[in-house]
Amino acid sequence: MTPILLAIYVLIWPLIVAGVLIVLVAAFYRDWRRARKQGRMIV
Amino acid sequence: MSDTVEFYQLGGLTVILLFIAFYGGTFLVSAYIGKKRENADGYMTAGNKLGFGISAASMTATWIWAASMYASATSGYTYGISGPLHYGLWGALMILFIYPFGKRIRSVAPKAHTLAEVMHARHGRSSQLMLAGSNIVGSVISLTSNFIAGGALISLLSPFTFGQGVVGVAAGVLLYTLWSGFRASVLTDFMQVVAMLGAVVIIIPTVFLAAGGTQMFEQGAENLTPQQLNFFSSDAFLNQGAPYIAAVLAYAIGNQTIAQRLFAVREDLIKKTFVTATVGYGATVIGVGMLGVMALYLGINPAEGDLNNLIPQMASTFLAPALLGVFFIMILGSLSSTADSDLSALSSIMMADVYGKNLASKKKKPNPKRMLLVGRITMILATASGLYFASGGLNILDLLVFVGALWGALVFPVIASFYWPKVTNKAFTVSVLAALAVFIPVRFEWFPMVGATGYVFDVLSIVGIGVVLGLMAFGFFGLKPAKIVGLLAAVASAPFVLGFLHEYTVLTASLAAYAVSTLVCYFMSVRSTQNFDFDLIQERIGDYDSDSAPEPTDLPATK
Repeated sequence: MTPILLAIYVLIWPLIVAGVLIVLVAAFYRDWRRARKQGRMIV
Repeated sequence: MSDTVEFYQLGGLTVILLFIAFYGGTFLVSAYIGKKRENADGYMTAGNKLGFGISAASMTATWIWAASMYASATSGYTYGISGPLHYGLWGALMILFIYPFGKRIRSVAPKAHTLAEVMHARHGRSSQLMLAGSNIVGSVISLTSNFIAGGALISLLSPFTFGQGVVGVAAGVLLYTLWSGFRASVLTDFMQVVAMLGAVVIIIPTVFLAAGGTQMFEQGAENLTPQQLNFFSSDAFLNQGAPYIAAVLAYAIGNQTIAQRLFAVREDLIKKTFVTATVGYGATVIGVGMLGVMALYLGINPAEGDLNNLIPQMASTFLAPALLGVFFIMILGSLSSTADSDLSALSSIMMADVYGKNLASKKKKPNPKRMLLVGRITMILATASGLYFASGGLNILDLLVFVGALWGALVFPVIASFYWPKVTNKAFTVSVLAALAVFIPVRFEWFPMVGATGYVFDVLSIVGIGVVLGLMAFGFFGLKPAKIVGLLAAVASAPFVLGFLHEYTVLTASLAAYAVSTLVCYFMSVRSTQNFDFDLIQERIGDYDSDSAPEPTDLPATK
């Protein structure tokens, strides 16, 4: 593998993690807002 | 670099403040959702209706534990560029491959709390206790391992000792989990996963840049062997990847922390939750494994020759003190989120399987208040036993690999019990015991694998390979494709396995356990006249806090 490909290989994972983090935070916010509207706790 | 590296340490006051911020914050969140009167079902599964965000975050946080980060980096350092993939990818697939079975399990037992409880409804006490027993052993080992990781982290990066670190972590986790159980575990998991994933997003690129960026790969290639440079390394596959593939289904079936989240999430969100957790776990653990790959390119020797020092060493070498604090929180989050899940899992097993199904009065429904007491006492005793084992210097990873392989004996009988009405309690019990009787002597090399013996176990391994891949295909595509995949896998692997694989006793023992349990369970069930009615499971398992609580039953197989 060339150094550039290796760099992409190393750095792609934190990028995917960032994507998952955004999905989780947005979904948690939706869960929290729905629970609040329904007057119950999120868990 | 020298192997007598002095670690940059965080100050004692800084570590105490980080501890207070982390465990104080999680305790406050736990106190916010705490109810004066918790109910038993909430304590075990949060009422079976968690949303996607919280359940996916919890599944991701639980599956990522400190040992997985250390092991992925070790794999990267040992096997080179493909090493982290052969650790993290298969670990991630453990979550993915279980979800089709999870959907089936949830559809037949929507109100269940533990997998063993479902086995009780399906078969009876012996099957239930076998599964519950293996779950307990696995959770105690996992709990101990997380305490050890906490002690090691604190002794490396602070002036405090290993023992002080273990006690601090154990007390912190128990503090926020004890009162609200699983509800506290999943909500704090969200905070912990945000801290962990956020830290990975920052730390990996920072270390990459601080270590010289692409220059590191140009100048350090000579530090790698041809196998380590090869993306398709056979060394990495045979030594790291293949044993993990064999364990993919075993860990998922044998681990109550997964089952607990399966029963907690809203039924229509199971697939979404498991797929997200697969990606989250895989990217995080493989990403952290890149620290090992970078260490290899940089020619760094692990301090004191201990590969577990590699991650803290990289963090200490390349991160500024503030980011070292972020790293500290990342590891603390990974071990705490798994430890609290282990405590919740253990308390649920004791509440539902030991008290609810066996100790409670045979004539009355189990008392939810007493169940809660059982759960809380279990958490305290489990923490104490974790502390005891953590101070004993056991090789926890070896034990965990052992238990993971042991769970292979349960996989086919458990999965078959949810689809095939002919599987009887006797077939389940005998097949698991027979598999263990084969697994243990092979695993501990009680006899030499020479001559015909070696070939017999190679044949069993071929059957085991067919079973593992067949079951994986069965979950997604059904019986017919599963038979084809299993057969093809067995035939294709035969030339490479015969006369060779018995030299790898760990893998052989694991595959033999799959093969024996499958063969015995199949041949004992195929002539059975039992035609189990799966609707009975739903009738036999309900909430403990409502009128739908299950009545004691003598478990007939049909209505």
